[in-house]
Amino acid sequence: MAPPQLVANWERLKAEVVNPKVDQKTIGQLLLQLKIALTEARLLIPSPNSTLEDLVITRDVLELGAFWSVRNKDIPAFDRYFSQLQTFYTDFRNQLPPSPREYPLIGLNLIRLLTQNRIGDFHTTIETLPPSILGDNPFIQHPVHLERWLMEGSYNKVWQEREAAPSEEYKFFVDSLMKTIRQEIASCEEKAYDSLPLSDAMSLLFFTKQSDLVTFAQERGWNVNPSTQIIHFARKTEEKIEIPKEKIIVNSLAYAKELEQIV
Amino acid sequence: MDVDTKPKPTAAGPTPDAEKPAAPKAEPTPPTVEIKQNLALIDRAVTTLEPRFTHRVLRTLSHLKKKLSDEVLSKAVEENYTKDSPAKAALFQYLSAPTSMDVDLPNGDAEPQHAVTSDPLPEGDAYIRLLILLHLSGTKETTEKAMALAHETVERIQALNRRTMDAVAAKIYFYLARLYEVTDRLAEIRPLLLAAHRTATLRRDADSQATLINLLLRNYLHYNLYSQADKLVSKSTFPDSAGNPQWARYQYYLGRIHAVQLSYTQAHTELLQAIRRAPAAKTAPGFWQTVHKFFIVVELLMGDIPDRALFRQPVLRKPLEPYLQIVRAVRIGDLSHFQSALQTYTTQFQHDKSYTLILRLRHNVIKTGIRSISLAYSRISLRDICTKLSLDSEEDAEYIVGKAIRDGVVEGILDHQKGVMVCGRKGDVYSTAEPGEVFGRRIGFCLELHNESVKAMRFPLNAHRKDLASSEAAREREKNIAKGIAEGEIDDDDEMDF
Repeated sequence: MAPPQLVANWERLKAEVVNPKVDQKTIGQLLLQLKIALTEARLLIPSPNSTLEDLVITRDVLELGAFWSVRNKDIPAFDRYFSQLQTFYTDFRNQLPPSPREYPLIGLNLIRLLTQNRIGDFHTTIETLPPSILGDNPFIQHPVHLERWLMEGSYNKVWQEREAAPSEEYKFFVDSLMKTIRQEIASCEEKAYDSLPLSDAMSLLFFTKQSDLVTFAQERGWNVNPSTQIIHFARKTEEKIEIPKEKIIVNSLAYAKELEQIV
Repeated sequence: MDVDTKPKPTAAGPTPDAEKPAAPKAEPTPPTVEIKQNLALIDRAVTTLEPRFTHRVLRTLSHLKKKLSDEVLSKAVEENYTKDSPAKAALFQYLSAPTSMDVDLPNGDAEPQHAVTSDPLPEGDAYIRLLILLHLSGTKETTEKAMALAHETVERIQALNRRTMDAVAAKIYFYLARLYEVTDRLAEIRPLLLAAHRTATLRRDADSQATLINLLLRNYLHYNLYSQADKLVSKSTFPDSAGNPQWARYQYYLGRIHAVQLSYTQAHTELLQAIRRAPAAKTAPGFWQTVHKFFIVVELLMGDIPDRALFRQPVLRKPLEPYLQIVRAVRIGDLSHFQSALQTYTTQFQHDKSYTLILRLRHNVIKTGIRSISLAYSRISLRDICTKLSLDSEEDAEYIVGKAIRDGVVEGILDHQKGVMVCGRKGDVYSTAEPGEVFGRRIGFCLELHNESVKAMRFPLNAHRKDLASSEAAREREKNIAKGIAEGEIDDDDEMDF
């Protein structure tokens, strides 16, 4: 049975979170106190004999903590909260009532994996979700679609999707995604176009101001011709294909050794 | 999804009484006699420390399974254990009350029953328990009993720690896990399997270790816990001396894990290994079909089109029908065909657990589409590309083609003002190092195969001594003859004796 202090703190936390004039710092401190209390009550790592109520409390606290860390742009903290939540979601799935914040959190994690380019982990997480959720839940749909469009290369769809993010926290991750996308588009254009007028480049790269574009172009080493307003991409010459000497030697020696061993 | 290499009995119940050892017709060997023979083989295996005999016994398991029934089993227990042995009593509680113990020997069975002086060895005991377990797991009502028996047997095995019992122990673990799977309680058995695996590794029990790793992987994959399965694989070593069926299963599970984690080439090699090590298609059609399904999907994800002949095999034709549709869609590069095939067969794919993998194929369809367009056209407008690939808008098409060019799927240039793509020609592949690499891989495989076969050759242990003895004798004879000639006893004339 959780000590009453813990329950009281929990109620306060819930109230603060909904409070529009809330100060992030107070929430941070509350969370810290709660975590210490939870550890003392041995609830942070759930065991089979904790009561249902306590488990729900712990789970709530962790979830709110996760959301708070995203709002404060504290990614390692989000990571910690989320991994602690995993036991609650998988092992105690049958015992606990479903939490409304579960899928938004999973979606947030998915986007985070995307921004860090951990596509393998992204897909592994998707495998664990039941197919019905994949199809319907908007929180999950959002990152799944993003990943698909990134893979295909329809970056304009990704750009449009920024506005359609299901919740505030998503926007933070999507913004950091934009940077990666710009780099991607830029490298595609280098290969695919010989030259591009500045105005077109602006629309392709989703820039609003020309000065931004010019700085970006200089970073990438593009040749901007201000008079004609055209960007020329440096066309890489065909590299001479060298004979991979060392590999061939190593292979041939291996073959000779194996053949000699055949009696 | 049944990946058991032994074909499961279709009718779950015991065979009807007509096929009793009583039948005086030509029954190859009545089951009780066969069980007795097997026990004798097991004894031999223990005394000579040769696992071959135990394997031979286990090979008979599949066809013996069909002949098992309560009566057969009670008779076997009765015959092979001493009277009033506690082990016998323990076993009888799992069999339904046998029809009178001193049943008249049915006519035709003239074999005298020798009184057995001692209980069979623990291995033999484990074998009989395995048979009872098999019989009990056949019907739904007896599954509880079967589970109790299995647990008891596992405890005994772990207490005894005898290496000669490994092969039978491995089978018992397998059936224990299968019982839990059938009753949908797999998660409960996970701690037990993990502990057993630790013990088996410590005791260097290769068979049990291999079986337990496979059972654990199957457990994790059943619940889609791919990351945990991955961790298990990285932290444990699969024993080299495990048999082929276990290797086949292990490679299959590995292939699935890696396919989900996007390492398609590795998954492809592993699934190929699984296919090669699996038994022939006729003996294990279920496994064959399942591995091939994933093999096809992984090959598509890698960008290659699987061979059409694969779908024509008689065992594979019907189950692979949905996959054939997907392959067609990817080959042509037609996104609408792909979507419709996906819709039609969604339930099938979800049942096979390949649905998420197939979703990833969307990108491949587009890639193939672009590639075929670039081969066919020297210049094509973006709007046309848009219609051909059923994309959403021209902008989309522009970005997608740009990405394809960057990834090296096609060679070409985009012209933004005119809104066209100008396609270049792809260089020929022989000027690169690719043929050399492929050739090298194949050579490596053949050499490995050769080395493995040499290592696997077995010579009977004492055969060379016989040779030695006979050559000794031959030399003795020669020496005698030479001595005889030298001493003048044997003359040339004497040889003409007849």
